Amino acid sequence: MSDISRIMVFAKRFMKERLFSTRMYIMLPILALFIPGMAWGFSDPNIVLPGGHQPESPMEVLFYASLGVVFGATMCAVLLSYDSVSRERASGVLELRLSQPMPRSHQAFAMILGSWQAILIPTWILLLLSVLVVRYRMGEWPSSTDSLVYFLSTALILLWYVLFTILASSYTREQGTAISFGVGLWFLFTFLWALVTTMVAYASGVSIGQENDATWVMLEGGLDLLSPNGVYHHLLETRLPQIDRGIAGWQSWSMALAWTILPTWLFVRRMEKILP
Amino acid sequence: MEEVVLRLKDATYRHSLYAPTTFKPWRRIRGQGIFSANISLRKGSILGLVGPNGAGKTTLLRMMAGILPLEDGTVLDSTENDEITLSHENLREKIGHMPEQVRWQGRKTVRDALLEIGEMRNIAESRVDGLLKLVGLESRVDARLNELSQGMRQRLTLAAALLGSPKILLLDEPLNGLDPVAAAAFVLLLGKLTDKGVSIVISSHQVEGLVQIIDRLALMHRGQILAEGTMEEIAQQLNLNKKTEISGPGTAPDFRKYVSDHDSIDIEQSQQNWRVVLSKNEKGLLQKLVSDGVDLTTWIDRSPNVIEMLCAATGQSIEDVGLEVSSTSVMPLRTYRGEEE
Repeated sequence: MSDISRIMVFAKRFMKERLFSTRMYIMLPILALFIPGMAWGFSDPNIVLPGGHQPESPMEVLFYASLGVVFGATMCAVLLSYDSVSRERASGVLELRLSQPMPRSHQAFAMILGSWQAILIPTWILLLLSVLVVRYRMGEWPSSTDSLVYFLSTALILLWYVLFTILASSYTREQGTAISFGVGLWFLFTFLWALVTTMVAYASGVSIGQENDATWVMLEGGLDLLSPNGVYHHLLETRLPQIDRGIAGWQSWSMALAWTILPTWLFVRRMEKILP
Repeated sequence: MEEVVLRLKDATYRHSLYAPTTFKPWRRIRGQGIFSANISLRKGSILGLVGPNGAGKTTLLRMMAGILPLEDGTVLDSTENDEITLSHENLREKIGHMPEQVRWQGRKTVRDALLEIGEMRNIAESRVDGLLKLVGLESRVDARLNELSQGMRQRLTLAAALLGSPKILLLDEPLNGLDPVAAAAFVLLLGKLTDKGVSIVISSHQVEGLVQIIDRLALMHRGQILAEGTMEEIAQQLNLNKKTEISGPGTAPDFRKYVSDHDSIDIEQSQQNWRVVLSKNEKGLLQKLVSDGVDLTTWIDRSPNVIEMLCAATGQSIEDVGLEVSSTSVMPLRTYRGEEE
């Protein structure tokens, strides 16, 4: 068996264990309500959003429905991966794994892939359902590029949350600490980031919350690059020409790459040095 | 002399301990560990690691398993004419490691759990089934890990250690949780493995049981190997003689008449019997006692046991060591202004 196929086999086991876990059975109905549910709501022909705005294209509806991913799927990613390392470490199984000849970096990649696939598969199925709902309600398909960006950026945001949580799991000896770290980060980026943005704006003398003020919009766009949720929205906005927050597409994709590579590198490095 | 298959040369590892201060909350210091361990594993032999709690037995096994990195020293693979320094991955290829008390849990089946470890070693499924049969879990292959008793978990860990037919097997407290019949079967299995040339290292607190199965012994204390060799070699190194235990009915005879070194006599007198332990053998003693008409019930010439060896090697008595972990586990580290360097 080649190294890559061994990683894939190991990742598949990891994925199956989480995909068919009790916590997934608990989270799945919530995800099903959040993701296709939002697509159904936002694709209503009579919907009027704050400011009298009405979504015009399927991609715009999917952009609004991505709130389901931000609120539901990311939390599910945290809940599925918080014990990836800490549980094995507490039970002694990690010691057994570390004594195997499979390189630790390969084990780390397999853990990342397995945990990621466990949340990615149901989320992508629900996204597909969302696309069908939008088609049914609006009579129009999103373009293939729109769909590709939507699916890819959703996969990336889930990967980032898996990486943060799995990294925390490798540092903590108690599972409670790992889950607190994951949920804490989720709160920071999902709810508290607006506060961070406001504070930075206040300190910089920028008028806060003025949607017509270019300085505020630019500042908010720039700071969003430092948050995985913000980068996710920037990636989706690359397919919405009517939105301009002063961030070029290449900048959004570069930050997406950074958010992917940095925590992956940290986790692999951590696994190479981890003690049982 | 048996062929050496693996050699630890001046192997050193010290644990990193978290020691935060107000201005350095991330501060760590170097704590106890293993200091310049030198061990040779011989083909087809069993080496027993014995030492008090905190002596470093588990740490040493983890170093040998390639789990903990060596700070100093090397692990050498002995070939016919040469010795090669082993990388961690090469070391793990050769070694099967059975950690202490793995608490297998979850909804996975026994077979799946073992297959998972097997895949990390490129092991065929048929080998996994064979190992489950070997450790007596044949009837529990589809049982979930949550349903296993501690003894069954222990068997599963042993099966995991045997995956890949390792040349060296490291067992940390392997008899914990096993019922007496399973423990006896386990000992038989170890015998079969050594016959096939597998070298085994066992760390166990059950020292008396251990002595029955080991070929060589390593006495550990405070992260150091104090003595290593066969029981006889170690007894010789530590100047420990065979002891003679004699017992009989009634009142004990005056042994000072028969034994020149009076300090070597230890007499216990009960209401109906007496028992004497002589720490030095006295030539012709049995003949003298019999000719004087002393009534004897038992006469046992016994070698020093592991606990006596350990006490002799550490220079401590059982009372000194007692249950005080701090006296056994904390290394005498160099200090600077009251803190470890």
